[in-house]
This record gives sequence, C-alpha cells and structure tokens, in this order.
Amino acid sequence: MTPHGPDRPTLDRVQNWFMAAITHTDGVWQGVASADAQQHIHIAPGEEGSILTRSNALPALDRLAVYGHAYFARLLDCLREEYPVLKHALGDELFDAFASGYLQQFPSRSYTLFDLGTRFPQFLRETRPALDISNPGPDWADFMIDLATLELAFNEVFDGPGIEGEHLLDQAAIMAIPHDRLPDSRLIPAPCLRLLAFRYPVHRYLAAVRRGEEALVPEPAETLLAITRRDFVVRHFELSAPSYAVLSAILNGQTLGEALCEGVGRDDSGELEQTLANWFFEWSAEGFFLGIVDPLEETGGGQLGGSKPSGVDERSSSLQ
Amino acid sequence: MVPSRLGHPNLGLGIGLRTTHFPHILTQHPVVDWFEIISENFMDSRGRPRHVLNQIAERYPVVMHGVSLSIGSTDPLNLDYLRKLRNLAREVNARWVSDHLCWTGVAGRNTHDLLPLPLDEDTLAHVAARVRTVQDFLERPLVLENPSSYVGFATSTMPEWEFLSRLTDQTGCGLLLDVNNVYVSAVNHDFDPFEYIRNVPHNRVVQFHLAGHTNCGTHIVDTHDGPVVDPVWDLYRLAHQLTGGVATLLEWDAKIPPFQVVHDEVLKAKEYMTGDLPIRRQPVALPVTTDGVVPTPLSFIRAEIDGAAAHPAGIY
Repeated sequence: MTPHGPDRPTLDRVQNWFMAAITHTDGVWQGVASADAQQHIHIAPGEEGSILTRSNALPALDRLAVYGHAYFARLLDCLREEYPVLKHALGDELFDAFASGYLQQFPSRSYTLFDLGTRFPQFLRETRPALDISNPGPDWADFMIDLATLELAFNEVFDGPGIEGEHLLDQAAIMAIPHDRLPDSRLIPAPCLRLLAFRYPVHRYLAAVRRGEEALVPEPAETLLAITRRDFVVRHFELSAPSYAVLSAILNGQTLGEALCEGVGRDDSGELEQTLANWFFEWSAEGFFLGIVDPLEETGGGQLGGSKPSGVDERSSSLQ
Repeated sequence: MVPSRLGHPNLGLGIGLRTTHFPHILTQHPVVDWFEIISENFMDSRGRPRHVLNQIAERYPVVMHGVSLSIGSTDPLNLDYLRKLRNLAREVNARWVSDHLCWTGVAGRNTHDLLPLPLDEDTLAHVAARVRTVQDFLERPLVLENPSSYVGFATSTMPEWEFLSRLTDQTGCGLLLDVNNVYVSAVNHDFDPFEYIRNVPHNRVVQFHLAGHTNCGTHIVDTHDGPVVDPVWDLYRLAHQLTGGVATLLEWDAKIPPFQVVHDEVLKAKEYMTGDLPIRRQPVALPVTTDGVVPTPLSFIRAEIDGAAAHPAGIY
C-alpha cells in the first residue's frame, strides 16, 4: 500500500482501523494485527509505515501506543472515581479486572463521561458467579452488586434533576382538596426521589468507608432506602417495609388510597394509621413531593399527563 | 478584511474552572479576568455543578471549551449534543465556543481522547463541511484548537498550521492556539514550533491556551499537571507579538494546586507580553517520566456526596 496511491484508504477506514488498534486489550501491536483492524486496512507486519509515521525517537507503533495506553488508563480512572467505595471493597486489582471487562463489553457510546459507568452494576449482575445451590442466601457478589448500585444512584441523584427552586407540597395544597377526594388523589414525587432495595446494609458500609473508617463486609440484611437531594446535597433515609411499600406505590403513580393499602398490607404493628400521618408530614417537610393532584382536576386537566412517574429502581431490587 | 480575533474581545488572563476551586471562587470572589469551562461537564448537569456555574457566569465572563464535538469523525454529527451545546452557550452567555481539530471516535463509539487526523485535501474538505454545519447550527463561528498529537500519518500532505489556515479561510472559523500543544507536537513530530507560530493566521486567533506537560524522554505528553515550561513561554511571547494579544487561559487538570497557585501561573504571562528578547533563565533539567502518563482530557465532575458520608437523614 502506498500513502498517496489510488488504494489510499479513506478517512473512514483509517479511523476504524485506528480505533480497533488502540482499543485492543493486549496493546496496539496485537491491535493492528487483529481481525477487527485488518478488515478495515490490511497491513502486513512491519508495514505500518504505509499508514503511520515514525519520529526521530520512536517507531510508528510505539507512537500509536501512547493512544492505546491512554484509552484504558483514562476510562479506568473515570470508573475508579465513579465507584471509589466499590473499588475499596474489591481491592484495586479486582476492581480493575472487572472494570476492564466492563469497558470491553460496554464501550462508551456517549459524548459524556457521566454515562460511562451507568451499566456497571448491570455488568456485575450479569457476570456474577453462579449461585451456590447449597447456600441460597445472599453472598459476596450480591454485596458488591448492591454497593455498585448505591454508588451509581448517589451519583445520578447528585447531578440529575432536583427540587431546588421548585414549589413543594405544602399543607395548603392538601387542604385545598376535599377530604372525600383525598384517597383518589395522587402525590407528585420529587424528580430526585429514588427507592432502592438491597440485600445488605450497603449504605452503612459506604458511609464508613467515606469517613475513612475500617469497614468489613456486613452480614446480609434486607435494606430499604429512599435517596433524594435537597439544597444540592444527596441524602438517604432508611425505610421499613410498609413505608417502602407506600412510597413505591406513590412513585408508581398509584392513588393515595392505593398507596396506603400497600402499606397496610406490609404492616404487622396494627398502628400504621397514626404512623402514616407522621410519615407524610415529615416526607413533605423533607421535600419528597412536589404537589398533589385532585382526581377531578386530573380528569379535567390531566395534570399528570401521560407520563408515569417512577423512581423505584427495579434494576437492583430483589424484594419488590 | 477579517477583524482581529473575529471581533471577539481580548478577555485578559483566565483559568480553567475546576470543581476543586468552587468553594474558593464562591466565597472569595477572586479577581480573575474570565473562566473557561469544559462544556460536557455542565451541559447535562441539573445539580450543584450547574448551580455553581450559573453563579460564576453572573460575575465573570465564561468561555465554553468542548472535548466531544469530534469534528473530524466520519460519524454523523450528534445533533442532540449540538442542541445542548447551543442551549448552554445561550444560558451562560458564553463569549465563544471552542473544541479541537480531532476526532474522538467512530462507528458510534467514543474513546474520549483527542485523536489525530491525516492532514490532506480529503480531510480538509470533510472537516470544513462539518465546521460549516456546526456554525450554522450554533449560529456563531466555531473556534478550533490545535491538539497535542503523538503519531502522524503517512498520507498527510501539509503541516498542521497550513491545514488550520486553509480551514479558517474556507469556513470563517476561529483558532484557539494552544501554545503548549504546539511545543508538544513539535517535539513529537520533529518540527520547528516557531515556524508553526509564525505561519498560523494571526487575525483568526481568538484565544491562547497555556499548560504544563510531561517529558517521557522519547516524547512529550500533554498532561496539564504542572507549571508552564520556559520554552512554551518563549513561544507565547512570539504568539502574543504576532497576534497583538488575545485572551489567554491556563489549563491545570491534574495534581491541581490551590486556586492562587493556578492564578499566579497565568499572571506570569504579563512578563512575556513586553520586550523583544526571550527572557534568559538558568537552564533547568526537566524531569523525565515514563510510567502511567495519560494525556488530557481527563477533567470531569464526579459527585461530592456530602450527605452519603453521614448517617441517614431519617428513618421511617
């Protein structure tokens, strides 16, 4: 192949060849010889000079290797920053091994690095070791998957839509709805409100690591959390099974009456009615809700529109 | 006759906005001429980063600098990305919008690196057509930066300065002349950096970049992790003379020191704006690094989860 001859490769072929070479896991030397690169530009070993130039100090492929090294180093570094507590739990070597596998299976297809790690929990779940039939309970892999899911949720809530500057649900809005129509009313959840169900108390582990404390993998325990944001600070709340059921129903667009039924169905205390009133008062004060929709207005004006609000994270939940 | 800097003002001496400096800027309101932001760090933000940027944009001139336009790629332009870029530019009153002469990926994938282009007639026509499309979409001239590069193409038929000159002629776009990148590429490709500076179209230069780099012995990597070295300051002096002075910005993206250190570094530029002769300094043996060197861009914002480090805010 000659650099300026009629068989000079098109820019598209050059770019596909270049990317195949620098994203090869075993380095650019294996990259240029790979079938992926060769399908775009066929180069015999030692003939890289037909495409790339050398410098006075470095041969062509050594120069290309600057990009090959940078590709994985840069993206691994981003994942380490996005999942610092998971990295702590796994150890550097194992984290990098998982992250490298992830980058190969899910290479970035977005203009923003904020999307780079969004499928990492999914990758861990799909590649987890097979379950031990003799021990059906949660295991180490479940802990790591839960931890990754929580870190991702914190990151997404941190920079996603929030309630800052928004008008929140207040007593006046509730009082404006006739008492007999309240059961058919729907609460509008804050866009940053998320519910998560875990098999381990990963939030306590995460907080301990972030405080710089010695943290051990905890014993499994059903853990239900609400995550939200106020004044640009991410906050989390521990939930009981009934409170989780009520909030899940609200996030799924069910009416207040339906949500309360969901909570009663998970309650063993028999005292839920009074507790619920306190919860709603405190949740409103914490900014869990933007407003309330009167069923009559919903029928007439359709304030909720066609979209179904949902902040329940169904990717992680094994308890719903 | 094209007006100098495409009619843009000389904003003075600015620094790149980095999250580690947010608290200092918000509380101390330091006297800085202007800030440059990484566009992708804010275009999707609905949280604290964007909230901080809005406050800063009310007080300081802001320029947007992107890393994902991928103007040289053979993939279609990403209209969703361009729409967000245009919206952000309007909302923060960006004085201008820049990106790099490069491609970042192909076939739908993004390497998040600034990859080099073969500098030939076909590439020039390809990039020029895309620049025109972007400019029509953004309704303003695009400003393109010369990247640091580490390998060249046997098919290239012109030096980078000629490619950029012809690109500006054909499209009316502006130039962000990264003086450190000229030096880095000159070492990596064995060309004369002063010849490069002398030959770019000076009235098209809207902005300068300055930064530190890492010497790897056989090549130099653009790492933005230290002060500007003397040979780069000498190139800056020449560029300043030939352009008549344009907005100058210091990039510091790794091992970021306190705000005042970064600001003091860019203020050194004042010493190089006067006088005809290079400043004579004691020669310094620069350290050579060989391990773990990654070129920029690396800067992106990760969550500062204040509340997550504390106990639960409530139990229900």
